[in-house]
Amino acid sequence: MIHYFISLTALFLIQFSLVANAQEEADKDKTSSPNFIDDIKPILRAHCLKCHGDDKQEAGLNLQSYGSLLRGGSSGKVVEAGRSSQSVLFQAITNPDDDARMPPNSPTIAKSKIEQIRKWIDSGLLETASSKSMVKARNLTFKPSVSTDGKLDGPPAMPTKLPAIDFLKLTRPFPVLSMDASPTAPLIAVADQDQVRFFHTKTEQEIGRVAFPEGIPQVIRFSRDGVVLMVAGGRPVESGRVVLFDVNSGKRLAEVGDEIDAVLAADLSPNQQFVALGGSGRVVKVYSMTEGTLLYKLTKHTDWITAIAFSPDGKKLATADRAGGLHLWDPESGGILLNLEEHKAAVRALDWRNDSRLLASAGEDGRIVWWDTNDGFPAINKSNAHPPQRVQGTYGTIPNGVLAARFDAKGRLVTSGRDRMVRVWDVDGGEIEKFKLEKGIPLSVILPISANDPVSGDSAGNVIFWKK
Amino acid sequence: MFCCTLNSDLLAEDVSFQRDVMPILFRAGCNSGTCHGAARGKDGFHLSLFGYDPKGDYFRICEEIIGRRINIARPEQSLLLRKATGRVPHTGGKLFDSESDYYTTLLRWIEEGGLNDSGPVPEVVGLKLSTDSFVFNQAGEQNSIRVTAIASDGSQRDVTTLARFHSNNASVVDIREDGRLTATGPGDSNVFARFNRFTAGAEVIVLPSAENFTWPDPPVVNYIDELVFNRLQKLRIAPSPLCDDETFLRRITLDLAGRSPTVDEYHAFVSDQSVKKREQKIDSLLADDAFADLWTALWAEQLRIMGGNYAPVGTHIKAADTFYEWIRTQLRNDRPLNDFVSEMVSASGSNLINGPANTYTMLVHGPRFEPKAFAADFSQVFLGIQIQCAECHNHPFDRWTMDDYYSFVSFFSGIKRKPGVEPREQRIYYDTTMPPARHLVDGRPMPARTLGANEPLDYTGDPRQQLADWLTSADNEMFSRNLANRIWAQLLGRGVIEPVDDVRVSNPPTNEPLLRALSEHLVDSDFNLRSLVREICNSRVYQLSSQPNDSNRLDTRQFSHAKLRRLRADVLMDSVVTVTGVPRNFSGFPTGTRAIDVYPRLSGDTGGPQFGDQFFETFGRSSRATVCACETRTEPTLSQTLHLAVGDTLRSRLGAGGLINELLASSKTPETMIGELFVLALNRKPTPEELSSMQALLATAENDHSVYEDILWGLLNSTEFAFNH
Repeated sequence: MIHYFISLTALFLIQFSLVANAQEEADKDKTSSPNFIDDIKPILRAHCLKCHGDDKQEAGLNLQSYGSLLRGGSSGKVVEAGRSSQSVLFQAITNPDDDARMPPNSPTIAKSKIEQIRKWIDSGLLETASSKSMVKARNLTFKPSVSTDGKLDGPPAMPTKLPAIDFLKLTRPFPVLSMDASPTAPLIAVADQDQVRFFHTKTEQEIGRVAFPEGIPQVIRFSRDGVVLMVAGGRPVESGRVVLFDVNSGKRLAEVGDEIDAVLAADLSPNQQFVALGGSGRVVKVYSMTEGTLLYKLTKHTDWITAIAFSPDGKKLATADRAGGLHLWDPESGGILLNLEEHKAAVRALDWRNDSRLLASAGEDGRIVWWDTNDGFPAINKSNAHPPQRVQGTYGTIPNGVLAARFDAKGRLVTSGRDRMVRVWDVDGGEIEKFKLEKGIPLSVILPISANDPVSGDSAGNVIFWKK
Repeated sequence: MFCCTLNSDLLAEDVSFQRDVMPILFRAGCNSGTCHGAARGKDGFHLSLFGYDPKGDYFRICEEIIGRRINIARPEQSLLLRKATGRVPHTGGKLFDSESDYYTTLLRWIEEGGLNDSGPVPEVVGLKLSTDSFVFNQAGEQNSIRVTAIASDGSQRDVTTLARFHSNNASVVDIREDGRLTATGPGDSNVFARFNRFTAGAEVIVLPSAENFTWPDPPVVNYIDELVFNRLQKLRIAPSPLCDDETFLRRITLDLAGRSPTVDEYHAFVSDQSVKKREQKIDSLLADDAFADLWTALWAEQLRIMGGNYAPVGTHIKAADTFYEWIRTQLRNDRPLNDFVSEMVSASGSNLINGPANTYTMLVHGPRFEPKAFAADFSQVFLGIQIQCAECHNHPFDRWTMDDYYSFVSFFSGIKRKPGVEPREQRIYYDTTMPPARHLVDGRPMPARTLGANEPLDYTGDPRQQLADWLTSADNEMFSRNLANRIWAQLLGRGVIEPVDDVRVSNPPTNEPLLRALSEHLVDSDFNLRSLVREICNSRVYQLSSQPNDSNRLDTRQFSHAKLRRLRADVLMDSVVTVTGVPRNFSGFPTGTRAIDVYPRLSGDTGGPQFGDQFFETFGRSSRATVCACETRTEPTLSQTLHLAVGDTLRSRLGAGGLINELLASSKTPETMIGELFVLALNRKPTPEELSSMQALLATAENDHSVYEDILWGLLNSTEFAFNH
């Protein structure tokens, strides 16, 4: 394992520029990008030009020349620079359905050729060896600023005036479904059955609890100033609600929603004007906190809502579902901004980097994507981010889902997965740290302020403060 | 440590997911096909159908959405429990209450942490019922059944409360979910218990009233009679009497020669005074080539033989002919059926030269050879079993598992075809570099293994010879029973197991000793078709009258009287030709070809259902679209009646052959002439009533050609003509 050692001050000054390439395992491809004339044309000539060439243009598609290929066919473009997974051409030759795959009535094109085409699309559709990539260079420079998190009038909020509550008698510890760290104080809040527990990040000791009689807290989020704590959850197929607490006193400030199932995803907007929530109803509901009314519903999702996140500047709302659907909305109007298609299975986590430009999504397909939300391009796309351990002689799919993903103030991302690992990713998507859990599955994870190492919560009910 | 009682021992044991939890999901119906066992699950929650994938089910219950379906902190709040007990809205409703053992077990399992089994769990290897047969004296009587599961470690456990029960015929016996039976009406049926991947059955007899029943004690010819009559006596059903000579002659000729008897055959048989004349008739018909031709037609239907003039997939007419003639040769030469099948199974080479190699192009037509489809059709034809359910889940009503299925498919994973020297030719070969089939659940490679075996075959290269040896060996009861049952069904109109190609635990024979004896006869006679047919035809059971009596009128399963059978389309056509003396031409075949020798020859390709002739389609000959025995339909339809009444099959033939003219020219009395028409068409003399009503027709128009033609038309349109009775 390589240890990166970067001093805190150095991190703050990092100016990092990345020519974004969406493909997985970016580094491998950089050395030699295939181009149309030398590498791709011969493949098309062998397999495609008979029906999609100068002589015949099935579906209006001519792959004979670079220009006509880019123009596409009767149903539109067939290649999307940088995104093989979204390119019709690539989908057609890799379709698992024998009847739908191109070329028709033929065996699949050789793996190596398919790989060439994938690289060619992902590296930016070069026409000749000297062409420039059509994937635009992205400057993912990130300048962390502490000031975005609100100017504090006084000392950061700590739960010093909580009323005493009864400790529930539990058969065994409740899985730590969610947690969050205060953006302003050395404090984390952790989900427990019918309760939320507070831990001091310095002492790593529990310092108090608030009751959540609504049931199981599925989502916990601090407000940007660390003063308010949002807890969303409920009882499965019974009731669900979002409750806002005052962190200092544990007082209930507001209650939102009257759901018939537990709320599975929710977020509080940075200006604390809106709460968005969703669950098995497949609808995202956005409530106004000032008027306490339902503002609008987002009905585009086709499966359970699994993650919701407002951008830190409050201008975008990201929502995701159990079928892999991921959409960006305008939280003011409820209008759709972008569909972000990449996940093939349930999205488990969404989080914004605090410059509001990058959105991280992670899911059961084992993928972590850093989206550039200006144009919806997957700036960094990591598949198999939490690869499963395969013992000799085992067959079948071993789940490698990513269950949690959170940015810290420095733009690093921490994730946890079904491989029982907690991993920390650098601004450029490089892995910088990993921690192995001995028992249980890490369900929630966070990098608290001014801490270098993550805190995780797992299915055995443990909260672990990791140390390098 | 010594424990005091068995009970406390059991209580001390941890609840096991596979042994204790999965059966509850099965019993409560959670993983059935209409609920969470559906391919995409139900309401967002998916379980494997009938629990074929315990690992996957554990993941989906416990780990897919942690904290929701089971809650290890507050076990009684687990959604699994609250749904099952109906405390929260559940599409499937309330399945059990919180006082039940099911609830207690699930709760305990969650309290213990909702853990998966850490090591291998003893597998269930069999199921035992407390009784394998029930006899009730009258409707309303009750009894109950207990189910014991036997595990691979030898342990036994009462699973009555975890099994699912069903009755094959609710009008004979009802079974409740606690295993309690109630007789509902006279008859015989079976009840079944399902647990894990096993089904076990018990026979149920509900006797009719003993009043007015006396066993007629009919004479027996051979073991077939003994076994059928044993069963009938037990069920208080009296068999019908022996049929008369006229009926016998017609029945045996239709069954063995595939046509009705001629007038000459009729007179020769009726006037024969020998006491052994029935036996002799059977022998002479068996020696005739027509017998082999009829069985060739039956096999050709099963093996889906058809030929096209344009056939890029190897099903050209020339190939079909090669196959058809090969089968005919085997059957004419009385080749043992096991050798006959064995040669087909292991065949390779050119489809134009080596007839049996066409098995691999005909059984499943298509541009690509598909091992899965072929394996399914193969087992249905040669074993009478349908294993295709096990492609996606363990067979719910039979013993076949997905392991069985995929290992069996592997026998054919290397079958390939390549073009021959001419466009019509395809060469069948076995590509030994092909990997075996992979298991659907976990992608495990499944090397070739015969059905029911525990270990894969030891083989390198083409495993099909070993498959053929196993399949056709005298020890493989599945094979000999399938053949015996199909032969029996062909002659009696109903298999001892019916449908003949759906043999499974939950579809048992109606007379097990009979099927066993038939199968043993086949094996002992070295798989000789004619030997078994001779035995069956000589039995009194085969020769019973179709006229029912009061005690056997409702019986359709126990062969107490001959079954009325509509003639097969080809046999019907050949009978019309026999009666009228006017041949029928079939497209693609020379003039004078018998219908029984016709298979679909097409001008185009061989895709889709093909009857080869309009008449065949109307009268339900197999379209050869699948290998299913149900492709041959024998139920009467309106279009058949209309076709015979006004279609050109009869109309054009009545006058054309000059039959009536000849008859009139012979200057016989009307009475004689009517009698001759009856013999010609129905192979019997008219009754006095029939005679007098016919004579009335002729009263004013003696020697009127058209009236005699009408009489013959009427006879051929009678159901008596269209049925074997």
